[in-house]
Amino acid sequence: MAKTNGLRRFSTSAAGRAFMALVLVFVVGAIFNADGAFFKIGTHRDALRQASVYGILACGLTLVIISGGIDLAVGSVLALVAVCCAKMAIHWGWSGWLVVPACMLVGSVSGGLSGVVAAKLRVQPFIATLALMVAARGAAKYFSGGMKVSTAVKSSSGSYDYVDVPALFRAVDTRILGDNVSMVTVIFLICLGFSWLALAKHSWGRQLYAIGGNEEASRLSGVPVVSAKICAYAASGVLAAVAGICQGAQEQQGDPEAGAGYELIAIAMVVIGGTSLSGGRGGMGLTLLGVLTIGYLDKILSINAVPEAGRLMLTGVIIVAAVLTQRRRES
Amino acid sequence: MKPNHIRSLAFAILSFLSLLANGCSDPASKSGNESKADGENRVYTIGMSQCNLGEPWRVQMNEDIKNAAAKHSNLKVVFKDAQNDTLKQRAHVEEFVSSKVDLLIISPKEAQPLTEPVAKAIQAGVPVIVLDRALLGDKFTCFIGASNKKIGKAAGEWIVKTLGGKGNVVELMGLQTSTPGQDRHSGFLEGIAGSDIKIIFSADMKWLEPDARKEMESALSRFEKIDLVYAHNDAAAHGAYLAAKASGRTGIKFVGIDALPQEGVAYVSQSILDATFEYPSGGAEAIDTALKILKGETVPREIILGTRLFDASNVRQGGQELK
Amino acid sequence: MNATSSSGTTSLAEPLVRLSGITKRFGAVTVLRDVRFEVAAGEVHVLAGENGAGKSTLIKILAGIHTDFEGLIEYCGRPARPCSPLEASALGVAVIHQELSLIGPMSVADNIFLGRTPTRAGFVCEARQHEEALHWVRQLGLEIDVRRCAEQFPIAVQQLIEIAKALSQKAKVIVMDEPTSALNAPEVEKLFALIRTLKERGCGIVYISHKMEEIEQIADRITVLRDGQWVGTAPATELPAQRFIQWMVGRDLGEQFPRRAPNPGPERVRLENFSVFPKGFAEKNAVHGVSLEVRAGEILGIGGLQGSGASELFWGMFGACSATQGAMRLDGREVSFASPRAAIESGLALLTNDRKATGLVLSLSIIANATLAGLRELSRAGWRRADAERAAAEKTTSRMKLRAASLELEVSALSGGNQQKVAIAKWLQTRPRVLLLDEPTRGIDVAAKREIYQLMDEWTSEGMAILLISSEMPELLTLSDRIVVMHRGRVTARFNRTDATPEAILAAAMGRVGNATPAIVA
Repeated sequence: MAKTNGLRRFSTSAAGRAFMALVLVFVVGAIFNADGAFFKIGTHRDALRQASVYGILACGLTLVIISGGIDLAVGSVLALVAVCCAKMAIHWGWSGWLVVPACMLVGSVSGGLSGVVAAKLRVQPFIATLALMVAARGAAKYFSGGMKVSTAVKSSSGSYDYVDVPALFRAVDTRILGDNVSMVTVIFLICLGFSWLALAKHSWGRQLYAIGGNEEASRLSGVPVVSAKICAYAASGVLAAVAGICQGAQEQQGDPEAGAGYELIAIAMVVIGGTSLSGGRGGMGLTLLGVLTIGYLDKILSINAVPEAGRLMLTGVIIVAAVLTQRRRES
Repeated sequence: MKPNHIRSLAFAILSFLSLLANGCSDPASKSGNESKADGENRVYTIGMSQCNLGEPWRVQMNEDIKNAAAKHSNLKVVFKDAQNDTLKQRAHVEEFVSSKVDLLIISPKEAQPLTEPVAKAIQAGVPVIVLDRALLGDKFTCFIGASNKKIGKAAGEWIVKTLGGKGNVVELMGLQTSTPGQDRHSGFLEGIAGSDIKIIFSADMKWLEPDARKEMESALSRFEKIDLVYAHNDAAAHGAYLAAKASGRTGIKFVGIDALPQEGVAYVSQSILDATFEYPSGGAEAIDTALKILKGETVPREIILGTRLFDASNVRQGGQELK
Repeated sequence: MNATSSSGTTSLAEPLVRLSGITKRFGAVTVLRDVRFEVAAGEVHVLAGENGAGKSTLIKILAGIHTDFEGLIEYCGRPARPCSPLEASALGVAVIHQELSLIGPMSVADNIFLGRTPTRAGFVCEARQHEEALHWVRQLGLEIDVRRCAEQFPIAVQQLIEIAKALSQKAKVIVMDEPTSALNAPEVEKLFALIRTLKERGCGIVYISHKMEEIEQIADRITVLRDGQWVGTAPATELPAQRFIQWMVGRDLGEQFPRRAPNPGPERVRLENFSVFPKGFAEKNAVHGVSLEVRAGEILGIGGLQGSGASELFWGMFGACSATQGAMRLDGREVSFASPRAAIESGLALLTNDRKATGLVLSLSIIANATLAGLRELSRAGWRRADAERAAAEKTTSRMKLRAASLELEVSALSGGNQQKVAIAKWLQTRPRVLLLDEPTRGIDVAAKREIYQLMDEWTSEGMAILLISSEMPELLTLSDRIVVMHRGRVTARFNRTDATPEAILAAAMGRVGNATPAIVA
């Protein structure tokens, strides 16, 4: 009796539903396996690799969404940091040990800025982060001079010198465990781990849940609402910076146009996982399920060479279906 | 209420000022119609209306024009950037005409809305060279553009030659809802017609490198034998190269298009790509044609540019021209 | 009681609307039982009663908002049963709520014709609407531009716009719910003059108010409800103040809760000329120059009706409202709190009167809610200690005698009484020295109430100072050692336990000082 009760509770819970969605995607992949490609370990490694950058963004977004906000700027901050990272590592020749903290600083300042505007000046988060989205994209284009920052460095004579790919990039865009796991996947899992720790085990995480659930009641209970929120946006910025470093390393260049539209995919991953957009409910485990679901779905469409139009329609339908099944519980 | 009025007024003033600032010319060249009549050495003013400088390739176009004009001391070029706004570009054309430039070069955002302002410029006696995107009708002096179909065909032919007439090719396509993507695909098909080249995998990577890398990984996991990757732009070819390198797959050749000096050409120099085909901006040709027009010579109505092939054998010499 | 004599108050014609035998239940709770009420043309009929007497429910039935009730409504003698507010307004009833229902960003004209916009083939006839709106607004002596947004006008004018709207709907019965809560004296005078004009036109006005001075000025007839039952209706001239208050308060106070003899210690809290100015519009619910003191181990009861400013006083003391003036002293030291967090760290705790909106985070578990105010002590360098949290939650919730299957349950799944216990448990965790309780037993069953009274008793014996706001007279009387009464943001009366009577308290709560009882300390 207890066992079936537990099973029923799991299957109707948010985690259960997200898990079943992922299982469904796996079943689809097994059926449409593109001449067995779905069963190769390389395909899984690649599916995880391509989902990882989005996944890192989704971690930061989970923190912000649970606190009742939203962050539309993560794609642009990713680009800004990719540009900065490439400039620092390639053009200025800084070592990775300096580049990474510097980039994370850029990310935290950007995120902190939208946090101050949203939490202290009480501008709607949608608007505040939309403004940063535009500003950061502009900054990325400005620092890069409008062109990709690559290993082809223009010398004073007008010709191009070719610099080696920096060690930082090679370290990030590599594979470990006998070629079966991409480093960026490991980075994603590390980011996921830290975010989970903060959310589930730290009092700041509890504060975020409380603020997202009922901001006024939290304030009256002594929760430092403004500073907790600013930290959430700053964290999202830092994670967007990590994503930017990974993106730059994988392209071996800093592209100011990178990350366009990534925020929407990351938000979709969070939502499909089961975290509520209105705040107060959700978690990192759910986001992981959402990342895997969308990541694998994308891979299955890719190995089957489904034409673009079909991919867009199918992805849209699945997102709507996932959100609808979520709603049944909340009603 | 008063505060609302002040706010809207301030906003209007700020937008106006920013419009002015954006419309301002490139600091490298002076504005206005200061064509000094200096006897025989008359300095001609050329107005250049660019639809946007967001795409690196258009930045390159402006660079090409600037470099070509710098070789002639009697030319002064004024650049205006319409920031991808059709109405702004219309306004720029009208501004150039009213400030009586000697010649107008325009790279239009869209054909329809800009046809009439250009026609008015012709009526006012200003010759107009249209770059890259054609206008409707024939009320302009000269159109200079590249043909994506030609480039695709040249790429196809080079691939047939290099692979000896047969092989497995992965095609990474640009946005198939855009003309360049469609043309680079149809041209390629023409180029490989009649040979034993097989396209075993094709995907729309929307001109983006991360997407291209993702699709290449899928192709690598499906197919054991891939001989060559034909990508519609150099960034995608680069992404495919990195994917293959990470998987340790050797023996695959990579072909791209665009050949920007710091991108495609650099990749060929670094042996990342095996070949790239230039999508000529037409900047240098525009200046040459402009000089001819200003001297009073007749020029053809349409100049279709050829492309340049850059591969390992000729990259140091600046590529090889293909008509 | 003096009232302005009005023309044709008690005509023999049918009343404009008559409600008889009205009974309304919400689930198991009976909110109105066999209530009768009627309004005649050309009269102002005051509907009075304490908080929770059932006045607003009765009005909602009249306005067509509640459609599920027993009883009969007759309009000019004809029975009818409106199924919606729109139908009720078609029958000639208009309600002007306390919270004005104008749509701020819309123009005055649009507001007046909301739902009845004059159209031609679907397109709004701006000109006609403008003309008609102007006509109605002028009837009330207002000269305003009806094209401007409603929210740009002061509250007094907005109220008149609402009345204009009612008149344009050809309303015969106009219900005004606490209309003067946001008005200053001259505006109130203008409103009363307008009411007299409406009377002369044959409208019937239902006037709900707590303010004795107004009732004395404006009422023709008065009906009193108490605990959902009709107590009496009488012409204002035949109802002296004392009997009026007795009707409201009643005799039966129910079981007395035995409170042990208070043994107050040194002074814990003192307010000197304390004022609070909540955000929103300036005059509403502001607190003006309140002075009081509470000693350790004492329970100070604060009596007052809706709008008295008592809750705002608590918020000001707790640092939840930043605009305060005057001095507050804790144990003799002057303090001022910029945020609730600062107040909590100094030993204050505030239980708000709306647990769902401001007391609990419904999506979190019992443990999470119970430890929300004390996260710092229960964590180590910021990292939560789940075992410490559980232990603390178990301790406080068991003291509150909380009954729940598991402490991991979401509080949204609990009953109202249990939710309130969790809210109180949260404050126990912080071991406060001053406890501000705002309606702590609202919506709780009798057994749970007694448990809470018991606890309050224990806490005071442990030295806590408690300030208690309660609109339940029996509760206020049994628990408090001393009582202050507030009316419109000011203290109107102070009582000791021994000389407090329900009538005196209510009189002071309605703004009437002097007269009723001896030993009133100003």
